[in-house]
Amino acid sequence: MYAVETKNLTKRYGKTFALKNLDFTIDENEIMVLLGPNGSGKTTLLLILATVLKPTSGQATVMGLDVAAQSTRVRQILGISFQEARGFWRHKPADILRFHASVCGVPKTERNTLIDNVLRDLELWDARNKLFMHLSGGQAKRLEVAKVFVHRPKFVIFDEPSSQVDLRGKRKIWAQILKLREEGSTILIATNEVREAEYLADRVTVLDKGKSVVCDTVRHLKDSITGGDVVELEIDTPQPHTLKRTLSQMKGTVKITNSGANNFKAYVSMAESWVPRMTNVCYRNKARILSIRVTEPSLDDVFLHFTGRALRGASNA
Amino acid sequence: MRNMIRLVWFDLKTELKPPVWIITEWIIFLVQVSVYGTMISQLVTGIENYSNFFAVGLVIMITFDMASHTGRHFVEHAHEGRLPYLLSLPVSRSKLFLTIALQGGTELALMLAVPLTVTVMIMGNLTLVSVAACVLTLFGLGFGVAGLMLALSFVAFKSSDLYTAIVTGLSTIIIRFSTVLYPFIFLPPQYASAAAFSPLTYGADLVRFILGFDPAILVNPYYAVSILTALAVSTLGLGLILIQRLVEGVKSA
Repeated sequence: MYAVETKNLTKRYGKTFALKNLDFTIDENEIMVLLGPNGSGKTTLLLILATVLKPTSGQATVMGLDVAAQSTRVRQILGISFQEARGFWRHKPADILRFHASVCGVPKTERNTLIDNVLRDLELWDARNKLFMHLSGGQAKRLEVAKVFVHRPKFVIFDEPSSQVDLRGKRKIWAQILKLREEGSTILIATNEVREAEYLADRVTVLDKGKSVVCDTVRHLKDSITGGDVVELEIDTPQPHTLKRTLSQMKGTVKITNSGANNFKAYVSMAESWVPRMTNVCYRNKARILSIRVTEPSLDDVFLHFTGRALRGASNA
Repeated sequence: MRNMIRLVWFDLKTELKPPVWIITEWIIFLVQVSVYGTMISQLVTGIENYSNFFAVGLVIMITFDMASHTGRHFVEHAHEGRLPYLLSLPVSRSKLFLTIALQGGTELALMLAVPLTVTVMIMGNLTLVSVAACVLTLFGLGFGVAGLMLALSFVAFKSSDLYTAIVTGLSTIIIRFSTVLYPFIFLPPQYASAAAFSPLTYGADLVRFILGFDPAILVNPYYAVSILTALAVSTLGLGLILIQRLVEGVKSA
């Protein structure tokens, strides 16, 4: 059984489809990252799974429970960290966490220790008695994710968990997310931050215009791009044209360009197997390799490859 | 039940620290009754002890303000982003909406504690039965008005400005065209027919009837009871259905 499964899930706002016949699964104890630009349907999917929104049609289940028909039971096993922390303007972080923990059924004996630990881990300790409205954007966001870390539910949803947070804060949040998974939680993260996705994801689902474009591990997604790896070479050779022709005929080479007399840029598939073959060719051609630099495709490139649009530049759908 | 109390108390405790808004409302009520009520009762003829009539009117206006505040509060929560959070908590929808009503009821009870006690005392009718009957009437009216505001909140999901304009306009009409400040039988015919549609007319006159005003100058208490009950049940029911459909179906939620 999947931890989360959607079948033909559709959500429509008037004539606009936020989700269109989405089929999607998450395995138990997996970190699934939803990657897509603003307006791709990520947040809508999260809100439907969290039972905050009702789907227009189709079905979604969480741990076998239907989100529309058994919404209260679904809410008892999940926790969600929203994209924006808003709402409790006149409350203090420590009080907000205490309230959240008590409503979510965290045992009274563990509550205070858990809250203190999370406040310290996320560097909110000094701000614990400030009013929410006096917190900085980063602190408010950390408080939003702290709710889930105090609750530690079976199924966790994060909507852009580290947006507005500095790099140090991001690392701390990511470490806590990985710890949650180690403890057995299934995790769904929506983000448009490529680095976050690469760091956390077991699998990535690329969403575009409410549809799942592709779903696989980061490694497989990157490998699936033909010519996605870029190998920059500096080679000392008396016959650069001959060498270039030979390299371009090698298996796995998509394109080779010159960026100087002895500098080559090769667009290849699977650089890890292409580079050893290239060194043999150079040896046979009596060419001396001075430097090699391999850059693999980012998830940005993956998104571009599968949707034809850049992730960051994509506008709201 | 525990979670419902937690939800109510979490919000309420910050509003009571310190309870400036409640105490201010009490002071305004006391000043209005003692100064303005006494002065105006010298000018109004035809009603014995107009200041008492006026005091009941003020209690009704406070009830209306608080009830419409509950409805508006809900809409503000939706716009501030608190509503999605509340909807994601492990509390059933019916309990969540009951909590919102309970919070409004608690605020109303706190707000009315002094004005109602003072009104009942100055009328010399401080008995358990009269107080209980008044409280019941005021809560019936409060639920009806809160339900009306909740039912109207679907407008707010389209445009909060339009919602504010409608609610402000409606509030003005409901208060002005009612018997809150003037007895029904003294109203000009056109004014009286408009007042017959205001829920405040029935709330105000029922409370006055309970407190011993001359029934001849009031609307029929049986009508008042039926209309207030029908209003509370229908608007609250409609409001809850609309809200449940709206909050789980619209983008702004």
